[in-house]
Order: sequence, then C-alpha cells, then structure tokens
Amino acid sequence: MSTKQIIGVFDDESVLLKATQKLKENGVNIKGIFGPSADHDLIKKLTKESRLPYLSVATGVITIILTFAFVYYVSVIDYPLHYGGKPVFSFPPMVVILFLVCILITGAFTTFSFLTSEKMFPGKSAKVVHPRSLDDRFYLVLERNFNPEEIIQWLQDSGVEKIIEEENEA
Amino acid sequence: MINNKIRYALVKGDKTYGQITDELLLNVEQKPPLWWFAGMTIGTILLAIGGWAFYMSLSQGLGTWGLTNSVAWGWDIINFVWWIGIGHAGTAFTIFFLVFRQKWAGSINRSAEAMTVFAVMCAGLFPLIHMGRPWLAFFILPYPNTRLLWLNFNSPLFWDVLAISTYLITSIMLWYMGMVPDLATIAQRTKNKVGKFLYGMFSLGWNGSLYTYSRYETLMKILGGLAAPLVISVHTIVALDFAVSVLPGWHATILPPYFFVGAIFSGFAMVLTLMILFRKAFNLYDYITEKHLDNIAHVLKFGSLIIGLAYVTELFTAWYSGVDYEIYTFFRARATGSFSVAFWIMFVFNAVIPQLFWFNKARKNLIILFLISIVINIGMWFERYIILVSSLAEDFLPSSWTHYSPTMVDIGIYLGTFGLFTCGMLMFVRYIPIVAVNEVKPIARAEKLRKQKAQDHEH
Repeated sequence: MSTKQIIGVFDDESVLLKATQKLKENGVNIKGIFGPSADHDLIKKLTKESRLPYLSVATGVITIILTFAFVYYVSVIDYPLHYGGKPVFSFPPMVVILFLVCILITGAFTTFSFLTSEKMFPGKSAKVVHPRSLDDRFYLVLERNFNPEEIIQWLQDSGVEKIIEEENEA
Repeated sequence: MINNKIRYALVKGDKTYGQITDELLLNVEQKPPLWWFAGMTIGTILLAIGGWAFYMSLSQGLGTWGLTNSVAWGWDIINFVWWIGIGHAGTAFTIFFLVFRQKWAGSINRSAEAMTVFAVMCAGLFPLIHMGRPWLAFFILPYPNTRLLWLNFNSPLFWDVLAISTYLITSIMLWYMGMVPDLATIAQRTKNKVGKFLYGMFSLGWNGSLYTYSRYETLMKILGGLAAPLVISVHTIVALDFAVSVLPGWHATILPPYFFVGAIFSGFAMVLTLMILFRKAFNLYDYITEKHLDNIAHVLKFGSLIIGLAYVTELFTAWYSGVDYEIYTFFRARATGSFSVAFWIMFVFNAVIPQLFWFNKARKNLIILFLISIVINIGMWFERYIILVSSLAEDFLPSSWTHYSPTMVDIGIYLGTFGLFTCGMLMFVRYIPIVAVNEVKPIARAEKLRKQKAQDHEH
C-alpha cells in the first residue's frame, strides 16, 4: 500500500476544480480536499449530494405522528377537562403545537445526525492538513499509489501553486 | 445613473482570502479597546440593578411591581414583547441568506443572530419572573407528574412557551453551527493556550474538508428552512396571547400579522443600530458597506408603511364594527384620551419618521440612519405599551379603571435585561468574529469575478 501522499496547494477555487476534475477522470484516488470556505459550485461538482434532507423529512413526519398521539392521549383520553365549554379535542391548537414540536425536534435531530455522520464532537482534535487550509489556501490530498510523476505533471499543468510530498501518518 | 459597480459592492476592495481572515478576526485577536471595558462596566452595573430587582420580586413577591387587578400585565409583558420583537431580525437575516440566497445578508447574519439569541434570552426572563416562583417554571412543561395534571393544550400561553423555547433553541443551533468553521480558524491561529483549547473544543474537530462542507451546506439550508416559518410563528403566537381574549383593542384578527411586521420592523432597526456601531468600532467598512445599510433602510421603509397601514386599519375596524367599547378604546382612550401622548409617539415614530428613507440622502447619512433606528425602537416600545395598558386600564367596567405606572423594581428588571444584552453582545464581539468569515469569502470571490467579467466586457 501507499506510504506517501501528494498534496497540491491551490489559491483559487476554479483552478482547484479543474485539476480535481482532471485527476478524477484519470482515476486518481482523491483522499480529501480541504479549504477555508466552499463555493456552492465546488460542492456541487465535486461531492455527492447529502442525504440529510430525507432524514429530516422522515424525522419531521415521525415527530408529527408521535406528538399528535401524545396530545390526543393527554387531552382526550387521560385528562379530558372542559375549559369554558370548549371541545376537549380541537384541531387548530394542535396545528400550532405539531408545527413547533416538529421544527424543534427535526432541527435538533438533523444537527445531531450531521455531527454523528461527520464524527464531530466537542473536544475532538481537528486533523488539519495545514493551518492555512483554514485561512487562504486549498489543499488537494492525493494517494500516491498511482503514477506519482504523472500526478505531479497533471497538477503542474493545472496551475497548482505548490506540491508537497509527505509521509502518510495514518 | 449612479455607478452600479460601486453602489452594489458587498465586499469592497480586491481582497485575498488571507486578508479577509486577518481583517475579520481582528476583533478576536486584538486586545479589547477601552470602550469595551467601559461598556462591560455599564452592562455589569445594569445587570446588578436587574439582580436587585429580581431579588426584590422573589423575596417580597410581585406586589413590588406596579401591577393592579385591572392591569395584571404591565411593564413585564410590554418588555417581553419588545425584546421578542427585537429578537426577530437575526433569524430573518439568516433566512434571507440561506433560503432566499440574498448575498448581502451574508456579512450581517452572524451578529444579527447573536442579537436574536441575547434578545430572546432577555425576553424569556420576563414571563419567567412574572410566574412569581420561577423555580417551579418546569410546571408549564407537559410531563407525567405526581400531581396527576396535564396541560391545557388549547392555551396560547402554553403555545408561547413552546414557541419561544423552540425559537431560542433553533436560533442557537443556527448561530452556533454557522460559526463552527470560524472557531476552527481561530483555534489554528491563536497563540493563547486557553484560547486554543476552548476554540478547539467548540470547533468540534472541524478540518475544512469539502465533503464535510457539502453536508454542512445542506444542514444549514435545512436549519434555515426550518427557522423560516418560526420567524412568522413566534410573534404570531405572542399576538394570539392577546387576540384570543375578549378585551377591546386586543380581540382582533389583525393582531398576528401586525405583530409580525412590528417584530421584523423593530428587529431590523436594532440590527441597523448595531451595524453602524460595529462597523465603526471594528473598521468593518469594507464588509458592512453602504449597500448593506441601504438595504436595511429599504426594509425599514417598507415595514413602516405596513405598520402605518395596520394602525389605520385598526382604527377603521374599530369604527366600522360599531361596537362602543372598541370605538372608545381606539378613538378615546388611545387617540385622544389618557394615552394619546403615547399613541402619537407610537404613530409618528413608527409610521411617519421612517418615511424619510424614501430619500436617498437620508439613507446615505449615517447619523440620520442611526437616529431613526433608535427612534423606531422607542416607537415600538410605545406600541406595546399602548396595546397592553390602554386596553387593560380602561376596559368594559369604568369602576375598575385604574392608572398604571411602573415601580422601581419594574424598571430595575428592564434595566437588568439591558445589562444582559449589553454584556452578551460585548462578549460576542470580543470572542467571536462579527462577520462570518467562511461565508464572506465566497461572496468576495463572486464579487471579484463579476468585476473581472465587467472589465473584460468593457475592453
């Protein structure tokens, strides 16, 4: 297996995008792209679409069903009190409650799922390629098991700023 | 024609990413200026006054407040509604940015969100203290208990609890998740060991991977989308606290939209106040440009028109209903009677003065912008005063009519919330980048590309 990795340093997203697309076409394994911010364009072209929205919709639906069951149980079955002649079960106030609980639980659960899927938690030590990757440069980390000379040639053609070859610590 | 390229600059100057990081982290990395300490001192004094008032309310009971049998909601609920209104703008900005893709909101939403979080905290304090025994506040949550009681889910007061806690939690999530990449950047740069540890801890191991960004972008869009209806619902529900009662002046279907617009209006005014201060204090002229202030002024002008319409509509419906009580409340008590001064302050400050924003000169003049933003918040306070006190103090039974005035304890709690807000905002500007660094970078780049394109086109 590879013991080294090649890192291309870029200072512009469009150059990075072109280089990455070319390397991908040629079957080079991209281990990671790190940068200080992410253009919507870059995200759209280089990554798979996240499935988080499906999860939130599912959470929302389940929350609504459970909340409805709970409110119905409380106000109709367990504690049917009459307040000033109003019906024990009425739908309009339910709308408010279902709506708010749905937003609260869905928001919290989606955030929690994001953190879980990214294995992020408070106190985790960040594996940052280079401090500048969170400041002003983009780092394209490549596996070296392809043909290194060819990779370096491609990177240079694309207009890379700098190429770093280093031992793979992982 | 005005030169569009200059007029519409959202980030001024051709800045590199490195420059943006340096300039926007300045407030975190430099030593706090003298006024910061002065502000903190004033904030702490106000907090201490609030603490005293809080202690008085708890130890001696709510008899220390100016409430009477007739005016059972007074200063506390006025200020509660006022703070909630201010707290509305933050999420509105985030939604403009994330959901409607309004790029100009990108450099404002962080501080607007901070304002929201602290304003909602201040607001939440009032009903909590008004309970009289805040340590039993958990009684309002639906949980199986030994008293074998459940809640009345039909009560707007319960919806309020739910609405405000949902709003606070969702706003905090939006705010915090939005700043995680920036916290990671600070953690990499800071030399201070404690700072490195704390920023590192709160950055949750963020390493700037594009794959994380991909999910993160989706997450932020989902949170923004979820928060969007919340902005409308929170103040609507606050309005329902009033609208479902039968008092003249409260019992009206116009109240929910009227409260909502009022909230957006006062929130944006507060954002304008803060933005003018922040850009001066931290030299953010290149990021919070005239264009941003101009946009906020336009929103305020629009809000003011709707508010004015709501005031006139209220008067019209009171007259058109033919109900004596409604006519009395609106035309006698409010417009010409014992509350007329407050009524006309409200009317002029909210519906008339912001109309100055029709003039380009007024929108470009920082002093006028600043003064009007403050005038609006004073006007909005009077609006809540009018709605609450005029309806309660002079209701159906003239024998129960009273006069309402706050006591020192009432005022103390209000000052205390100002202390909380001031200290909160000052801590924010000290430890967190005021402008979202990772969100401004793509905006700056887009701006640069557009400029290049325009230049190529010219040649």
